[in-house]
Amino acid sequence: MDGRTLFRAFRDGGGGNGMSELVRLTGVTKVYQGGITGALNGMSVTVERGEFTAIMGPSGSGKSTMLNLVAGLDRPTSGTIAVGGTDLAKFSEAGLARFRRDHIGFVFQFFHLLPNLTALENVLIPAQLKGNPAPERARSLIDQLGITEIADRYPARLSGGQQQRVAIARALINSPTLLLADEPTGALDTHSGEQVMELLGQLHRDGQTILLVTHDAKLATRHAARVISVMDGKIVDDARLESPERAPSEVIRVRGEETSR
Amino acid sequence: MTAILVKALADLRRRRLQAAVIFLTVLFSMAAGTMAMTLMSQTRDPYQAAFEKQEGAHLQVAYNVSTDLQLLRKTPTIIGASASGGPYPASNIQFRFGDRKFYVDAVGRANPGGSVEILKVTSGRWPLANDEIVLTRSFSELNKISVGNRVKVTSVAQTPTLTVVGEVVDIDEGSADLSSQRAWVLPAALPALATPDSSYYLMDYRFGTDPTSGQLQSSVDRLRASLPPGSITGSLNYLLIRSIFNITNQILTGVLAAFSIFALAATIAIVATLVTGIVISAYREIGIMKAIGFTPYQVVGVFALQIVLPALAACLVGIPVGTLASQPLLANSSHALGLAYAPTFSIGLDLLFLVGGLLVVAVAATVPALRAGLLKPVAAIAKASAPRGAGGRLLRQAAARARLPRPVVLGIGDAFARPLRAILTLVTVLLGVATVVVAVGLPRSFELINNSETGAGNYQVVVTRTSAYADSDVMRLLNAQPETARVVAVGGENVAVPRLGDPVNTHLFRGDSSRLGYMVIAGRWFSAPGEVLAPAGLLHDAHLKIGDSFTGTANGQPLQLRVVGEVYDINNLGHSLFMDLATMASVKPAVEPFYYDVTLAPGADASAYVRRIATTQPDLLDVRQSDTSLIAPVKIIDLVLLIIAGVLALIGVGGVFNTLLLNTRERIRDTATLKALGMSPRQVIVMVGASAALLAMVGGLVAMPLGLSLHHVLNDVISSSAGNDTPPAAYGVFNPLELVLMPLLGVVVAMAAALVPGRWAAGTNVVEVLHAE
Repeated sequence: MDGRTLFRAFRDGGGGNGMSELVRLTGVTKVYQGGITGALNGMSVTVERGEFTAIMGPSGSGKSTMLNLVAGLDRPTSGTIAVGGTDLAKFSEAGLARFRRDHIGFVFQFFHLLPNLTALENVLIPAQLKGNPAPERARSLIDQLGITEIADRYPARLSGGQQQRVAIARALINSPTLLLADEPTGALDTHSGEQVMELLGQLHRDGQTILLVTHDAKLATRHAARVISVMDGKIVDDARLESPERAPSEVIRVRGEETSR
Repeated sequence: MTAILVKALADLRRRRLQAAVIFLTVLFSMAAGTMAMTLMSQTRDPYQAAFEKQEGAHLQVAYNVSTDLQLLRKTPTIIGASASGGPYPASNIQFRFGDRKFYVDAVGRANPGGSVEILKVTSGRWPLANDEIVLTRSFSELNKISVGNRVKVTSVAQTPTLTVVGEVVDIDEGSADLSSQRAWVLPAALPALATPDSSYYLMDYRFGTDPTSGQLQSSVDRLRASLPPGSITGSLNYLLIRSIFNITNQILTGVLAAFSIFALAATIAIVATLVTGIVISAYREIGIMKAIGFTPYQVVGVFALQIVLPALAACLVGIPVGTLASQPLLANSSHALGLAYAPTFSIGLDLLFLVGGLLVVAVAATVPALRAGLLKPVAAIAKASAPRGAGGRLLRQAAARARLPRPVVLGIGDAFARPLRAILTLVTVLLGVATVVVAVGLPRSFELINNSETGAGNYQVVVTRTSAYADSDVMRLLNAQPETARVVAVGGENVAVPRLGDPVNTHLFRGDSSRLGYMVIAGRWFSAPGEVLAPAGLLHDAHLKIGDSFTGTANGQPLQLRVVGEVYDINNLGHSLFMDLATMASVKPAVEPFYYDVTLAPGADASAYVRRIATTQPDLLDVRQSDTSLIAPVKIIDLVLLIIAGVLALIGVGGVFNTLLLNTRERIRDTATLKALGMSPRQVIVMVGASAALLAMVGGLVAMPLGLSLHHVLNDVISSSAGNDTPPAAYGVFNPLELVLMPLLGVVVAMAAALVPGRWAAGTNVVEVLHAE
């Protein structure tokens, strides 16, 4: 199935910051080969367009699995995942690739920049795969992210913070409908991590829908408007924070449980 | 079992595909090498053994039938021969069997024994009556004539019928497919079969030790000096016969040896690539190995062993296979020599190959494995596997400028990201493509040369007359046929050339011989009496060049000749002359042609023509369509070349495959990232395919000139081993389109080979790979 065609209606219908459903997980279970218990156990949740949602939970809670499923990097054992109203199960492997290319931006904990491409080339890759090279947009993203100076360097010569900025620029190059970030600060020092989170916050304020996976409650509550807490593959808490920075207590409680385990 | 062996075996089980690549390349290289060496070492010995056993003649001389027999009986003393045979009366005769006619030199001989040229009777018996004849086994087998068959001699008016009573092996003549043959009758039977113009006496001489070419030549010179002029009409020495016997095996040996070296070079390239790749991909593992107590040497040992083990298996299979594969050819030689075939091989040689092969592979594996041994454990654990930095950047940029799709651009960059690996891969591709070029080109060159020798396309019918049917009658008969467009009459005489031991066979032409298709390599075709052409072999040995004049001797008289051209002729290893019949007539007025090359008018039915002419004089004329088919040795060489090219092409594909496999495995994390960013499975396959295509294209482009040069060199080697220079046309047997298509075909094949690693990479589970990181 052609992701591009499917999503055109979705895109045309969307836009702006008006709240409308973007992601819907219904009874999603994921059991890995050899696994006795599931990584996800019948998870159901929706994410609205324009939301900055943090998925929080301890290691092995299933939060990364959830993100991978939403990105179409993996398929659920049961249940349905719909993005933009379209069931991802309908896509072939190639269709999922096009879906990711066109609609998803992915930021990884370990950046996963291609080591033999320069920063600029890394940013351009998704656009080029789409057959729509956008050098100007790449340059403008690089400028916005403050990495102009290092655009022609190879990843091995960049700091972690710089690499993650490049990865974010790469995730944004195709103007994704949904930006997924899996522990984007996990491999960074505190200062760099803070800068990256500021950047995501700014993107959200500019209208970008973001789904962030983290185990850091502080980060989650400071920047996200909604924090979903996951434990053993199930949602144990789903808090919408009117003013995230001022009302973290509920979430902290969950975090406290994690640390006490 | 030691820890090294346990680890190496475990690694082998994990890398079965790579072990298979090593096994196959080593197998091919060892099999071909052993075959070549076995042929080389075993070919010469059987001939020598048979030559000694049959008391072969070092020198055979044909004397004019008018020479005094008493003088001939004294000739062995003149040249210091230790033994001699003859003088045997002999005459060239034609006989008919079924509807085919054959020419042989009938020799009158009382028994097959004696002190020189003992004939080994392989079936039947020696003649007991005047109407019995014995043929060589080689001739009988080629023409399917058996003991008990009756043949009708058509070269004399009485056309007597003879019964074939035996078959013999004669060590002093070549095989029937390459040289004219003798037949034997009782001496008393010969006069009734002989014709005056083709009768001679044959003497066989044997010396105490094997004489050199120079010694043989001086013997002939001494004979010539001590006998009346014109007494010697021809001579033949054992060196020439040995060359003719061994020429097929010699050429095959050369081709196989070259192939074996190629295959070994490709094997080294593949092994080095493989081990480098394994070491790089196993950095972390190496670190762990060292951390748990493996010494650097043990680490190297683990890597070398996992290459040497499949190589050992390949040697154990390949060496016996090579030895076995050489046996039919050796059996063929033994059969031709009349020797009982016994499997011939040298255990020492096989062991040498085993040790040599393993050593080469072990060195090729150990050198890159040393890197693993020298790594510091912490660095090894920390070091990432995929190539980093600017490797392949220039290529990527060039591809990007050409506006190629991004997966293609990435693939192109990957191809040369590890330059050493890319170069080693190119070596395998290069060898494969170059061999294919040779395998395509050489058979065409052979065919071209064969066509020139057999007049393909230039004349369609060959008519041979017996002396009982006059030349003028043949000409009248042929010219009376409406389809006859051109008749070139051909005769032959021997001419003694200064500095050459043996008198030279001369092709004498009457008519427009320049259009018979003989290839003139330099100079021009003769156009006046006194002008001759000769192949390189004669020109070289007689120290002649185009423009030189020399005085030959024919019919006992001096014959003034001037060289006007170099011609291609493989008969008698390049010792022949081409001239006008009128040139010979000046010293031998009675010289006449005995066969006729007939060119038919376009559209004429050659077989109807042959039938019609044949029925006019069934006994006195032999009429047949010009036989343009390749001789058996050339067919064998063509086949061997084809097999070799196939194998080396496969090794080339294996090299590309191996490299792609390593590249894709190394880059699996990058591929997973690309997939996460939206690269579709097809784009992944395109990316891997582009790497393969570029490697194959660069390899192919470099290989084309190499292949063409190799084709050039092999042509020269083969032509010169037959006493000739290569005709320029034999080099230019490729058309420009093919020169483009051959590397392109390589690209297509390499891309097909890329499908396996490409699909594997396309099927990467992104989550698993990135999670493992």
